[in-house]
Amino acid sequence: MIGELLYNKRLIVGLILFLIPLLLGTIGPYFYPKDPYERSMCSECPPSEEHLLGTDARGYDILAQIMEGILTSLYVGFLSATITMTIATVVGVIAGIKGGSIIDEVLMFIANIFMIIPSILLAILIAAYIRVRSLEVIALVMAIPAWGGWSKAIRSAILSLREREYIYLSKMAGYSDIRLAFEDLLPNLASYIIIAFMTNFAGAILTEASLSFIGLGPTKGITLGKILFWAMQLGALRRGVWWWFIPPGAIIIMICVALMLISTGLDEVFNPRLR
Amino acid sequence: MNKIAKYLFLKVLFLIASIFVSATIIFILPRLVPSNPLIIKVMTIQRRLESNPEAVEAALKSLYEYFEFNKPLHEQYISFLAKVFRGDLGTSISMFPLKTTEIIGRALPWTLALLFPATLLAWFIGNTLGAVAGYRRGSIFEKISMVISLILSQAPYYWIAMLLIYLFVIKYSIFPLAGAYSETLIPSLTPKFILDVLWHYTLPFLSLLITGIGWWAISMRALIIYELESDYIRFSRSLGVKTRKLFMYAFRNSMLPQVTNLAINLGYNFAGALLTEVVFSYPGVGWYLYSAISSLDYPVIQGLFLIVIIALFLAVFIVDFIYALLDPRIRLGYSEV
Repeated sequence: MIGELLYNKRLIVGLILFLIPLLLGTIGPYFYPKDPYERSMCSECPPSEEHLLGTDARGYDILAQIMEGILTSLYVGFLSATITMTIATVVGVIAGIKGGSIIDEVLMFIANIFMIIPSILLAILIAAYIRVRSLEVIALVMAIPAWGGWSKAIRSAILSLREREYIYLSKMAGYSDIRLAFEDLLPNLASYIIIAFMTNFAGAILTEASLSFIGLGPTKGITLGKILFWAMQLGALRRGVWWWFIPPGAIIIMICVALMLISTGLDEVFNPRLR
Repeated sequence: MNKIAKYLFLKVLFLIASIFVSATIIFILPRLVPSNPLIIKVMTIQRRLESNPEAVEAALKSLYEYFEFNKPLHEQYISFLAKVFRGDLGTSISMFPLKTTEIIGRALPWTLALLFPATLLAWFIGNTLGAVAGYRRGSIFEKISMVISLILSQAPYYWIAMLLIYLFVIKYSIFPLAGAYSETLIPSLTPKFILDVLWHYTLPFLSLLITGIGWWAISMRALIIYELESDYIRFSRSLGVKTRKLFMYAFRNSMLPQVTNLAINLGYNFAGALLTEVVFSYPGVGWYLYSAISSLDYPVIQGLFLIVIIALFLAVFIVDFIYALLDPRIRLGYSEV
């Protein structure tokens, strides 16, 4: 299995693409020690030796802002994907174990509704009502509307697992539902949950950027989406300040493409039929 | 026929129930938030309309009438649902005394005109691209088109829009920066005005189209490969059926799931259209929603959401209906499910 992981090209390319922004965000500041919150006298200066990616209209150094933004965006995305997958797994497992009962029906009815309403729209609606939005609140706001489809997928995986013989044996041995879930079902779903998590992680980073872009992102701190928000608000486009809005967007794409590659790569390793 | 009727009945039931649940969510949200957002709203109204005390009175009155916080919760809920049912979505505060329904009537045509052609064309181009890529597996064409598709599928809508503006407006002034038509023109059906609208339409349309293609190409490629490996294709191939014909078989079978996906993705494309409108100041739902959010115009935010969500549920319902007509498994076998 480990060997296969190393031989999967998508996975390797994805990991490399993911490491570049991650390293930029974590150890970048040691090599490029500029305070992202400090204004310099230089307003909208193009990239130079002094400011590698130039400065914005307020004199902030853009590379320093991007380094900070990468870490915040990754943190919010990771947290949000964790919450989403936790809700999806709990709901999916309960619905799957109680398959066909009224609990299952109600849970899946709710999941169906959340599946149709685009999560970004519901996140916008919720965020519009919250005045002070910390990073954790944003992660939660994005996670609440996003679990529907994933819980349905986990439920159907469990329904098919339930027909396996060893589950019958466990049931005959008198295992409780909770023990059944933790010992027999979840280990079999682990690979799927990890793959779904990666997809979700990418989605959450994009959603956070969109929320920030319309001014509903975290109230404090810098995220990649907030750099784009300020670029749009302060007229970077009209004045053609390309170094302000092109790099943050390119980094968002890079992170999300990397996560999608990791996700499909893992999928290919775990499900050999796909190759 | 009876089975279709039963299928449709269940779908209609789901449609009504989900609209009801969505309305409930929209009702509960502002009442769940700990710090009452209305208090800030009241202060901003007083500041904004300072010169006109009568307008302050009227705006505040309509705000209180809309939320009815003074009544008990269950009465608020019933009266909210009754209003929604009657199509009364309250009055805008920042654009007082414009009604929310009037704003929607103004904005929705622009959004739909942007959304549907772009989504359908992206669906068509993406599926064709993905099908050819899946069919010519291992070729250079497949690799390049999949890399581009993957990048496009992860690109933020508004970022692509910004790139297009930078390229076609700032660098080479080919297209206009913002709006749906030149402000000097009066809306009419003259050729001059229509050309002007199309001229403004091009860039928002392109940015929606470009970002839309990627996902379809990727998913279609996977579907085609799956179909081409399936037993019936292998069997047909062993019988000596022409490759072209095999491709058509696989293509037709891959199209059905893509029709369902169209309904599911419509919502996401809708969200994308909203963000694109913000970048281009295009006077659709997204633009009004954005300005309503900026000024915390709650009746408009809620009203726009309700309409958008109902429209999406209806779209999914219609696709389900078409699907039932197309797919014999649903048409004939529903009783067994």
